[in-house]
Amino acid sequence: MNSSPDQVICGGLTFEKTAVELREKIAFRDSQLPAALAEMKQQLGLREAVLVSTCNRVEYFGATSAPEHAAAAWPAFLRRFHDIPEDFAPLSFQLSGAPCVEHLFSVASGLKSMVVGETEILGQLKDAYDIARTQGQTGKWLNRLFQSSFAAAKSVRSRTAITRGSVSVGSVAVELAEKIFGDLRGCRVMVIGAGETSERTARSLLSHGLPSLLVANRTYERAAALAAELGGEAVRWEEWEARAVDVDIMISSTSAPHYVLTTEKLEALLRHRARRPLFLIDLAVPRDFEPSINLLDDVYLYDIDDLQSIAQSHMRERQTEVVRSVEILKPHVERYLDWASRQGDPGARPNWMAT
Amino acid sequence: MNDRLWLELATLGYLASAFWGIYALGARRPLGDRATFILIGTAFVFHTIFLHQRGERIGHCPITNLFETLAFFSWSLVLTYLVVGQAYRMSILGAFTAPVVFLINFFALLAPIDVPNALPHLGWQLELHATLALLGLGVLGIAALAGLTYLIQERQLKRRSLTAWFYSLPNVGRLEVVQQQVLVWGFAIFSAGAILGFFIPHQRTDDWVKIAWSAAVWMLYAALVLVLALGRLSHKKTALLSVAGYVFILLTFWGINSLSEAHVFPHVG
Repeated sequence: MNSSPDQVICGGLTFEKTAVELREKIAFRDSQLPAALAEMKQQLGLREAVLVSTCNRVEYFGATSAPEHAAAAWPAFLRRFHDIPEDFAPLSFQLSGAPCVEHLFSVASGLKSMVVGETEILGQLKDAYDIARTQGQTGKWLNRLFQSSFAAAKSVRSRTAITRGSVSVGSVAVELAEKIFGDLRGCRVMVIGAGETSERTARSLLSHGLPSLLVANRTYERAAALAAELGGEAVRWEEWEARAVDVDIMISSTSAPHYVLTTEKLEALLRHRARRPLFLIDLAVPRDFEPSINLLDDVYLYDIDDLQSIAQSHMRERQTEVVRSVEILKPHVERYLDWASRQGDPGARPNWMAT
Repeated sequence: MNDRLWLELATLGYLASAFWGIYALGARRPLGDRATFILIGTAFVFHTIFLHQRGERIGHCPITNLFETLAFFSWSLVLTYLVVGQAYRMSILGAFTAPVVFLINFFALLAPIDVPNALPHLGWQLELHATLALLGLGVLGIAALAGLTYLIQERQLKRRSLTAWFYSLPNVGRLEVVQQQVLVWGFAIFSAGAILGFFIPHQRTDDWVKIAWSAAVWMLYAALVLVLALGRLSHKKTALLSVAGYVFILLTFWGINSLSEAHVFPHVG
C-alpha cells in the first residue's frame, strides 16, 4: 500500500445532498476543530489533513497513498466523534487527484456555494487551513494546494462579476443605501412595525456600521423588545412621525391595511427636515408607503418586489458568470497538477490524471 | 503653425480617454478608473505644451483669438478635472470630461478661427482678468459634469434599474458634495476674473455684448449659489440647473466670443 505515491483527496458532506438537520449534527465547533482534525488524520490514515466545517459543508482534504481507506473510515470517524448512530457513507463523496483540485478551487471561488459567488467561504477555508498548518498537519501537497486555491479564487473574483450584486433582500437594501449615502456610519435608521423581515433588513444595515436605530410599533412592548435586541431605541406610535424628521432610512413592515405614510404626509415632514436624501424601504404587503412618494426629489422608495427582483437579477448574472469562472480556474488547476507531477517520481503524473 | 500639432496630439489623447472611460463604465468587471486618469493626464501634458509654445510665440497669454480661447478653456476643464479627480477621488469623472474636451478641441481645430490677432501689450492685470474668467468657466464645467453624473445615478436609483454604470459610478451623496463644492469654487474664480475687469484701467471701447453675457452667466450662478446656501432647492434641481447653466455657456460661448473678437482693442500700427 505504501509503495503507491501520495495524492490529494477530499470528501465529506455538503448541502447538496445532506439536509440541514443532519449537517448540524456533524458540524464541528471552532473549539472542537483542532482535536477533531488530529483524530481524523489518524483514523483516515492521512499524511496531511485539513478539516473544513461550515454550515453548508463538512469536508476533509488530505494527502494519502490509500484513498479507499480514507473514504471508508470517514463515516466511522463522524459517528465516533459526534457519538451519533447515523450512517453518512451514502451521503458522502470522495474525489482524488485532478477532480479534487478542481473541487477545492471551485469551492474557494464560491462556485459551489448555496449562494453562488459568496465570499465568506474563502475566509472559512483560510481559517481551516491556518488551523491545520499551525498544528503541523499540512505538508507540501496541501500547502501548495490551498495556497493555489486562494490565488485562483482571487483571480476569479477580480476577473468576473461573480461576487457582484447582492442576492438577498437585506444585502440589496445595504447596497442601495451605500449608493445613496456612501458611508453608512452617519445614517440613522427607523424601523416601523416590528416584523421579522424588517428586523433582518435592519440587522444587515447595522452590520455595515450604522450607529443607531429607532423602532416604532403600534404595541410599544414589541418595539421595546426589538429595540433592546438590536441595541436601538423604542419609539411610541404617536411619536414616530415627529422622530422621523432626523432619520435617513426608514424600513416599514406594518400590517396596516392602509398607507402608513402618504405623499402628502411626507411632503409636510420633508419641510422640517435638513436637505438630505431619504431612503424608504417598504417591506409590507399591502404596502405602507404610498408609491407616488418616489416622485419626490431626493427620496428613494423601494418595496419588497423591487428588492426581490434586484436580488434575483443579480443571482441570474452570477449564474452566467460561473462558466467564465470555470475557464479562469482551468490554468490554475493545470499549474498545480504540473507541479504535482514534477514532485519525486516522474511517473506520478499518469496516476494523477487517471483518478 | 507647428504648435497646433501638440493640440492635435492632445485631442487624440482625449478621444482615446473618452472611449476607454465609457468602456470601463459599462464593463461587467471592475477595471478601475486609474487608466482614464493617466490617459487624460498625458493628453494634458501635450495640451500644456501647445499653450506654452503658442504663448511664447505670440508674447501673450494664448487667448488672443477664438481658437486659442477655446483651447485654453478646454485646458482649464482638464486642469480642474485633474485636481478634483485627485482631491475627491473621483477619477471616474474623466469618462465624462474627456468627450466634452475632445469635442471643444475638435471643433477648434476644424474651424477656420486660428487667425493671428496682434494685440498691444496688455499688462498682467488684463491677462489675469481673462485667464481667471476662463479658468472659472472650466471649474464650473466640472461642477456641471459632476451634476450630470449625479443625475444619471439618481435616475437609476429612482427607476430601480441597476445597470453596470450603477456599480461604476460613485454614490449620489458624494456626487452631491463634489458638485456643490466645485460649483462654489468655480463661481468664486469666475467672479474674481469678472470683477477684476471692472477695475483695470483700459483704453478700449467697452464690449457690451460680452459684458452683458458675462453678467448673465454671473447672475445665473450667483442665484444658484444663493439657493444652494439657503438650502431651498432639492439636490436634483441643483444638479439640473448646474447642467442647464453650463449647456447655456457651451452653446453661447462660441457665438459671443466670435462676435466680440476677444474685446476690441485699438490695434497698434
